[in-house]
Amino acid sequence: MKQFGKILKFELKNYMSNKVFVGVTLFLVIAIAVVMFFPRVMGAFEGDDVGGDGADDVRSSVMLVYSPDTETGEAVKTAFLAAFPGHDVRLCESEEALRGSVEAGESECGFAFESLVSYTYYVGNLSMYDTNTAVADSVLTDMYRTVAMVGGGISAEQAAEIMSVTVSHSTQSLGKDQMQNFFYTYIMIFALYMVILLYGQMVATNVATEKSSRAMEVLITSADPVSMMFGKVIASCLAGLIQLVAVFGSALLCFNLNSSYWGEDGIMASIFDMPVDLFLYMLVFFILGFFIYAFMFGAVGSTASKLEDINTSVMPITLLFVIAFVVVMMSMSTGDVDSILMKVCSYIPFTSPMAMFTRIAMSTVSPVEIAISVGVLGVSVIFVGVFAAKIYRVGVLLYGTKPRLGDILKAIRKA
Amino acid sequence: MRLELRNIEKSFGEKRVLSGVSLTAEGGKAFGLLGRNGAGKTTSIRILMNVFPADSGEVLFDGAPIDYKRVRFGYLPEERGLYPKKKIIDQLVYFAELKGMSRSAAVKSVDYWLSRLGMAEYRGKRLDTLSKGNQQKIQLITALAHDPQIIILDEPFSGLDPVNAMLLKDVVKEEIAKGKIVLFSSHQMNYIEEFCDSIAILNGGGVALAGELHDIKRNYPRNRLVVRSESAEAIAARLGEACAPFEDGGLIVTLPSPEEKGRVMRELTENYDIDEIKVFEPSLNDIFVEYAGGGM
Repeated sequence: MKQFGKILKFELKNYMSNKVFVGVTLFLVIAIAVVMFFPRVMGAFEGDDVGGDGADDVRSSVMLVYSPDTETGEAVKTAFLAAFPGHDVRLCESEEALRGSVEAGESECGFAFESLVSYTYYVGNLSMYDTNTAVADSVLTDMYRTVAMVGGGISAEQAAEIMSVTVSHSTQSLGKDQMQNFFYTYIMIFALYMVILLYGQMVATNVATEKSSRAMEVLITSADPVSMMFGKVIASCLAGLIQLVAVFGSALLCFNLNSSYWGEDGIMASIFDMPVDLFLYMLVFFILGFFIYAFMFGAVGSTASKLEDINTSVMPITLLFVIAFVVVMMSMSTGDVDSILMKVCSYIPFTSPMAMFTRIAMSTVSPVEIAISVGVLGVSVIFVGVFAAKIYRVGVLLYGTKPRLGDILKAIRKA
Repeated sequence: MRLELRNIEKSFGEKRVLSGVSLTAEGGKAFGLLGRNGAGKTTSIRILMNVFPADSGEVLFDGAPIDYKRVRFGYLPEERGLYPKKKIIDQLVYFAELKGMSRSAAVKSVDYWLSRLGMAEYRGKRLDTLSKGNQQKIQLITALAHDPQIIILDEPFSGLDPVNAMLLKDVVKEEIAKGKIVLFSSHQMNYIEEFCDSIAILNGGGVALAGELHDIKRNYPRNRLVVRSESAEAIAARLGEACAPFEDGGLIVTLPSPEEKGRVMRELTENYDIDEIKVFEPSLNDIFVEYAGGGM
């Protein structure tokens, strides 16, 4: 136990004094701070130009309207001025003049009417996000209906009232609101994926470096392999957590400092509005998931003779993890997080950290199911950890050609 | 202090590496473990240090099964290597702490050894900035800093210049004088001969020869004489087939029995101008070649 403490301290110090580790963490913290302060900084710049209420009066681009019938033209112009606040709506004398103006780039777009319910839309480059025709259609339909109603004997006020009726509704979600939970679940799963993959690889490289530099010869005769393995893995887990806390902590802090500037941005608010219990689940699944993979990475690292072998050696583990990630991401994007596949995945120790966490966050899972999943995962971590230490003990002394799995298993049985 | 390996057997898969190895090393003495490459030296050392267990047999310390929690080992492996990118003081203290020392005691001891080996100026440097010989001295500190009862040195002199070799010799002699068990494994026979009171030669996974070096040499048949003389040719002509050329222009004379050596010595000194005449004692090199030469 004493040795374990020393190893943990030494390995953790290695991470903390690693310039790349510190540099990347600082970079992420600064990048996030820049993003979080962006609206405030932009607000400071824009503050003078855009004088609050006057914002509506800025009509920067010209929209032309032509109608053979002047009365319709005027009515449409008035309606469009209200419907397109960003545009300066002007009447045009002929369809050719309208077309020429748009072509020359003097106007952004133009509507040439044949009747109130039929027009040609002229525009230079049709943007993917051009909604002008949709807005215009809606405005014109309303106008047509109002005209028709007035023609049918209903007063203009009554017609306006009928047209402006709105339906009010409210939603009461009795389970989880997937829309709200989606973003932080997405971010958490992605963070879990990145950290486990990055730090797992680091554990493997760390072990293989000790082996190839032969520091292992002294280490293996100085410390117990179980302490070595657990010390390394827990140190890298702590380093990963410290990095996550630094990044997300600074993000939370910067968001709170600037929350008023982010205003009504629902996505941002939902990300930082994570319930505490979900955060604790996240922590449990993160730590256990990290352990189970880091142990495997460490064991594989110990069987590699050269650092170059690491990438091919860890491939099966990486593949397993990527498959788990893809399954979870697919279920999240379809919204069906309670599919049979996800249910199965949430009990398999190698996939449960991501699958079960996603289900807890985006669906309703009974406490018994969570307990079973965490229990299976916890027991597996201990089993995989001890087994990894055994592989480590045998693996680190095997130099030369890469040993086959069968040879290692045989050696473990004997040891 | 007394360290014993008794009937150690070990196989890796189908390959039998050690078959019935028994050794005894005493405190205050150096023990030489010899053998050709692949004879089982490193495997014996690893079993001794509990890196992996033997298939059968036992390791005893002062007559009782060894308690690895209480007996401290210092090990200089043949395959040298520590953390190249780490500060020397940090890694040396770490290794000493792993062997059970408190941090303050570890720092104190490491500082003592750094100055003892003339390495104090490198204390805060990274290991990979040092020359190979100096790196080896640093590695030696990992074997000594925690004041081990048993010190195992695998090829300690390889890569050291004569001055550093002398320094290492002095250090090893000090440790032996403190009553520690020092176990040498080396192919440089002159060093083994200089330090070791007892030796064991491993061959093909078994002990081919073991015992006090002095006794081993004495037990060789004393029926051979080494003769150096200006009249070597005349002597060779007179003794005929009993005579063979020896190192540096000398002769080696093999007698039918040891009892005749007095008579032959007298006869030669009376009749020829003799520079040197003595009973031939085999060097450790000769013994090694004889016992470790052929596979078993």
